[in-house]
Amino acid sequence: MSVLVKRTIPIAIVFLTALLFLCEFFITIPGIDFKSTATIVNNWGIILTAFTLGFGAVNLFIFHGRHISRRTKGQWPFSLWLLIVIILFTVVGVSTGASSSQYTWLYNSSYFALSATVYSSLGFYMTSGIYRALRAKNIESGLLLIVGFIVLARNAPAIAAGFPPIIPWAAWLSAVPTTSAQRGIMIGAALGALALGIRTMIGRETGFLGKLTEAEKGG
Amino acid sequence: MGKESKTIWDRLEDIPREVLYGILIITFIMPMLFPIGFPVPISPEVQRWYNFIDNLPAGSAIMIDFGYSGGGEPELGPMAVAVYHHIFRKGGLKAITMSTSIEGTLLWDKAMAEINPAQYGRQYGVDYIHIGYITGTETAMAAVGKSIRATTTTDYHGASLDSFPIMNGIDNAGDFSLLICYTTGGDQSEGWVRQWYTTYQTPYLCAVLAMMVPTMLPYQKAGQIVSLVSGAQAGQMELLVGKPARGIKSADVITMTHILCLVLVVVGNIAYFGKKFSGGKK
Amino acid sequence: MADFATVVQIWFAALFTIWIYSIAFRDNLFFKFAEHTFVGAAAGHSLVYGVDNVLRYGWAPFIAGNYLYIIVFILGLLLYTRYHGDYFWVSRFPLAVIVGIGIGLAMRTTVTAEFIAQIQSTAGTKLLGVDAWTAFSNLVFIIITLSVVYYFIFTFPKMHAGGLGIISTIAKYGMMAAFGYSFANTVLSRYNMIFGRFDFIMSTWLPLPYAMIALPVALILLIYSMIPAEKRPWPKTQK
Repeated sequence: MSVLVKRTIPIAIVFLTALLFLCEFFITIPGIDFKSTATIVNNWGIILTAFTLGFGAVNLFIFHGRHISRRTKGQWPFSLWLLIVIILFTVVGVSTGASSSQYTWLYNSSYFALSATVYSSLGFYMTSGIYRALRAKNIESGLLLIVGFIVLARNAPAIAAGFPPIIPWAAWLSAVPTTSAQRGIMIGAALGALALGIRTMIGRETGFLGKLTEAEKGG
Repeated sequence: MGKESKTIWDRLEDIPREVLYGILIITFIMPMLFPIGFPVPISPEVQRWYNFIDNLPAGSAIMIDFGYSGGGEPELGPMAVAVYHHIFRKGGLKAITMSTSIEGTLLWDKAMAEINPAQYGRQYGVDYIHIGYITGTETAMAAVGKSIRATTTTDYHGASLDSFPIMNGIDNAGDFSLLICYTTGGDQSEGWVRQWYTTYQTPYLCAVLAMMVPTMLPYQKAGQIVSLVSGAQAGQMELLVGKPARGIKSADVITMTHILCLVLVVVGNIAYFGKKFSGGKK
Repeated sequence: MADFATVVQIWFAALFTIWIYSIAFRDNLFFKFAEHTFVGAAAGHSLVYGVDNVLRYGWAPFIAGNYLYIIVFILGLLLYTRYHGDYFWVSRFPLAVIVGIGIGLAMRTTVTAEFIAQIQSTAGTKLLGVDAWTAFSNLVFIIITLSVVYYFIFTFPKMHAGGLGIISTIAKYGMMAAFGYSFANTVLSRYNMIFGRFDFIMSTWLPLPYAMIALPVALILLIYSMIPAEKRPWPKTQK
């Protein structure tokens, strides 16, 4: 009974929900309106996904709350500041509105600048990687180097304007080896995704259930 | 006996990262202080994008997904702004925007402030609108494709969609002539192929980060995307639209920094092979 | 001239930018402060839009008369039972709905978009009736595509043994070319992003009053904070 409720029913929900959307797309049965039901469930999915947006904040409160309560040396003041920032954003955003001028100010002065800078800071490490790691040690790395070199040159607008032959060279590299290899990867990944989806529907993949008890594993 | 002295190859291989970063920073700053004005050739995919929008008949509705995050704004923001300039200048088009990115609505506000639609006589709710951020990525795309009003009845400020003339007769994917997506996420760029192009055959223009272009190329080759561009090509779009801005400003810097990269690749390999052929290990 | 709130906003954004970039050189207190601000802001922003979406797409239809949505609210709240030691399994029910929707929506179109369309496009690649270079390029295209698909599907060692090893070699060469292309484009992306931040610093922040003085002061403080605690006069960490 316990395994039925805790494992089998969630897997059955996955199966039936996925089947609903597959039927809506592929099958037409007179008298059965898959579309309306699928539309309702689809919109429920949006709201449920919205509920999951709070997980990050909850996890951070648990993790950094431990640092604060234990007064972890060199860490707890930062943990306290982190939680204050979460609360500040939440209070301002929920009370004044997610697109209010006050929240926009808060976003632009902190999150936007930080996000843009964190993303871009990897460029420094790439520069170091270009110098230290991009070596023609064998055929494969040599190929990566040569293609990378040509495309780096093409991506510099002045080099492309000053040395026009590089444009069709880079276009060929893009259209032939890159697209074909990516297509091969895509087809393989699509087969994998289909297999994973079917396995999840029939209960062979239970990763989404989280930790399983011994009884649930056996089932 | 004592430690071996470093050869020239060892020294070349072990340049401290601080020196490399310092050179990189200088290479960034110099062209910004002293612009050179390098030419920027227009690539075929940017021209194809421009032509597609230019050939849209009056009254066409465009669904635009502002799906990029703050991290991608320096690259995709200028492209989005340039394309909006084109849409507003052309006139007669309805630009309905949504966001599959959690920062999308705020970044859209930023873009609109930069564009100033009023200069073209364009009004919110008549020529353009934002229906808000919708969670769920493909779930949101599928929901909006089926029915916008079944998903949301308001714009991103909370005003009723029916109070805006632009939304008259617009409710599902079949009412749109074009889909445009600006995104930093593969889930979004590929999700629109699955949820709109495959289901409704809506023509699709896709702008992604340059690093994402290779993974999207198979879709373009198969005809599922009309034109795939990277945000790095924003300068070219600005030239076509006649509104040079942040995108074209980066051309000099990108040229100089890429020349630096090419030099680093050459020097690094000279150091490697020099050490290898002079009898050094590794 | 920007108003006071905008000026303060620009100052915060500029200082955060400089502090984050400092990690490229050494870890320091200013970076740690900026990093924790970023993580907190990201979580807070998610929470704000989570609440906004629940109200906009759930609560509004509910109070408009769609009372079935009460089920969704209950399911949504049940998601948070995952943090309970004994009743974490209750969160599997709403999670199953989310997973089922995702699988259904993705699977039904993956077959067409990423399988059939790609195979059709490859099969439609012309080898005859085109010039020699195009025919050669198309042949290379087909060979690499098939090799890469073979490489990923047939993972048993004997499928790559002997003469069949040429297929995986061609696949690896094709993928290396693709990764070289990706690498170069990644450099372009990151450098564009760095330019965006540098442009902000130089065009928006530095023209503001006192910013030109603040920049060297900020850099000196950063360099000072990068000195190991035991080597700097203040503050010292306690053992």
